[in-house]
Amino acid sequence: MRSLAAACLAALAACGAPAERVAAGPSAPLPEHGVTVEDTAPKEDLRLVPPEVYMRTYLRLFGGLAPLDAQKRARGADGAGLFDAWDDYVSALGFPDYRLDVPRLTQTNALMAATFERLGVALCDRALEHDLKAPKGAELPPLSERLVFAFELPHGAMDQAAFASRFDVLHRTFLGYPASLAPPERTARFFQLYRDIVAGHTKADPRSRFTPDEAGWASVCYGLVRHPEFHLY
Amino acid sequence: MKTTRRTFLQVLSAGAAATWVGLPPHASMADVASANETEFFVFLIALGGWDVTLWADPRNEARGIIHPASTENTDTSQLTRWVDAPLAEGPFKTFELVRPRGGSHAFGPGIGDLADMVDRITVINGLEMNTVAHPDGQVFSTTGRHPEGGRVAACSIDTMISNEMGRHQLLPTVSVRYPSSYVGENLDRRVVPLAIDDVGSISRTLSRSPIYDASSERDRVTAMLSEEARDLAQRSTYPDVLEGMSLQYDALRRMLGGNLQDVFSAGGLRKAHPELDYKRRFTGGPAVNAAFAVEAMKRNLVRCVSFAVGGFDTHANNYRLQAQLQQETFGLVADLVKSLDATPHPTVRGAKLSEHTHILVVSDFCRTPQINLGMGRDHYPNNSALVVSPRFRANLVFGQTDRDQLLPQPVRRFTDGERAIAPPDLLATFLGAFGIDPRKYMRDGEVVRELLRA
Repeated sequence: MRSLAAACLAALAACGAPAERVAAGPSAPLPEHGVTVEDTAPKEDLRLVPPEVYMRTYLRLFGGLAPLDAQKRARGADGAGLFDAWDDYVSALGFPDYRLDVPRLTQTNALMAATFERLGVALCDRALEHDLKAPKGAELPPLSERLVFAFELPHGAMDQAAFASRFDVLHRTFLGYPASLAPPERTARFFQLYRDIVAGHTKADPRSRFTPDEAGWASVCYGLVRHPEFHLY
Repeated sequence: MKTTRRTFLQVLSAGAAATWVGLPPHASMADVASANETEFFVFLIALGGWDVTLWADPRNEARGIIHPASTENTDTSQLTRWVDAPLAEGPFKTFELVRPRGGSHAFGPGIGDLADMVDRITVINGLEMNTVAHPDGQVFSTTGRHPEGGRVAACSIDTMISNEMGRHQLLPTVSVRYPSSYVGENLDRRVVPLAIDDVGSISRTLSRSPIYDASSERDRVTAMLSEEARDLAQRSTYPDVLEGMSLQYDALRRMLGGNLQDVFSAGGLRKAHPELDYKRRFTGGPAVNAAFAVEAMKRNLVRCVSFAVGGFDTHANNYRLQAQLQQETFGLVADLVKSLDATPHPTVRGAKLSEHTHILVVSDFCRTPQINLGMGRDHYPNNSALVVSPRFRANLVFGQTDRDQLLPQPVRRFTDGERAIAPPDLLATFLGAFGIDPRKYMRDGEVVRELLRA
């Protein structure tokens, strides 16, 4: 009983005591023991986007069409031979085939790179025809309705600045971020590609359906739709 | 790493295999590649699980749980090697064993025309599978390891071979519906199997329209992308994937520069190789793959061609056609060998392609010795395999099963004791035949020297 009373008295005394104050900061600056840079490096290797994601992206770039509609549009009715049928490409793209227990491919290979080129060329050529080549007497579609080339071509010669602003549009479309954030030499490298193709195309087969300028932009498009950053994440 | 008696013996066995083919015990990859740069490989899988009692391990009497093939359950009308033999009971007939001239072993009628090449084939019986699931059996037969949690745990034999000898070939491995896998370390990105649905799709994938742009323009783009991939790899913490893409862009340039699309169309192949039979009921399609193999090897473009023949999963009445399917499959192998006999080697003057081509034929597993209520056979954890290779002892049947249950029997002493041969041993022996250390790719398996030619 006596000890219980003593405990109660002690508790009452504690309640009446002044509150302990915690200082808002250290009384003196903390000494520096070294500087460590934050490690922002990725901790996992790059992976191939699944074939379903590739195909969905491809269809969206083609204007959000269904696979068979995109196939029809890529093939066209002009005998261009740009595209065969999805069935010809699905295994090389890495789709699994559960009927045969064929697993999905998770690494690129040379034949897959060939398929990416085949499909990328079809997309870029058809998109360029739609966006930048109006039939005689018709207007070009407004920028908002263009598939890929959502910019106007300059009337005069293309300098690097004029190229860069238009390249940025394509870079954002295919790779999802501004070209200014890419490695610094990328824009210059693509500009050189553009110039080489324009210069070479004037001497190319005159039956080509593209003017040199159009062939230059088509090549820039090929380069982006087949770019490693388009296929890896 | 702790060296146990087992690992010591395994290393010893790998070294012995290397010595066997004239290479030092720890031959480097460059040594293996240069010693074998004239060799080519064809891997074939009979998808679904074949009935070994109809070819490699023939059974023509009812004994134990074995219910032999007979006119009751087999359509014999198209079988060229089926000769009726009496069954102990009932009105139906089973088959006479096929005893090839000059051969020391008997086969079932499913062997077909391959029986005439008995002096060139090696048969492995009693392969212990420990599985009756299709994906597991296919992966085990081609990698030597069972899948782990549904995932393939090792690379397939075609990838192993390509990694050693095919890195500089334009097409290291072309895999047509074969369970090829690229898993593991120390693999070169160039040897990722080129997996396709059918050979004709190669030509469609490689064809380009000349109406809009020239091939030189597309090539310029590919060259730039190769440069981009290399630069990105230099900035990357993990450069492997990007370096691999750079190499693959370079390979693509060589591929398109070679005008392969004209060569590898299905129609072009049929025309180039009329000696193969494209009208067969079951193997007419795969015959195009065989034609591709011959043509690609003749042009020294490929190191391995892997493909599948399907339809062996005969649980029900479709078992009636199992023997015919086997006859056509082995007929295709025989035709392939004849075609290779008639084709000069691309780099070895005076040599035939067949002297430097190695063929391995496997399946998921075999089928039950009993006939089920649906008149078919189900899955069974035993297997056989076929090798046609100048590096293997021919006219040889290695391994055995018991007479009453068709189950694998111990065949020799391995480092882990007496046991039956298993797929890892066969694959290790296949690698060992070319001086490749199996331990580099495989966890299990020992080189079986009895299978190799001296």
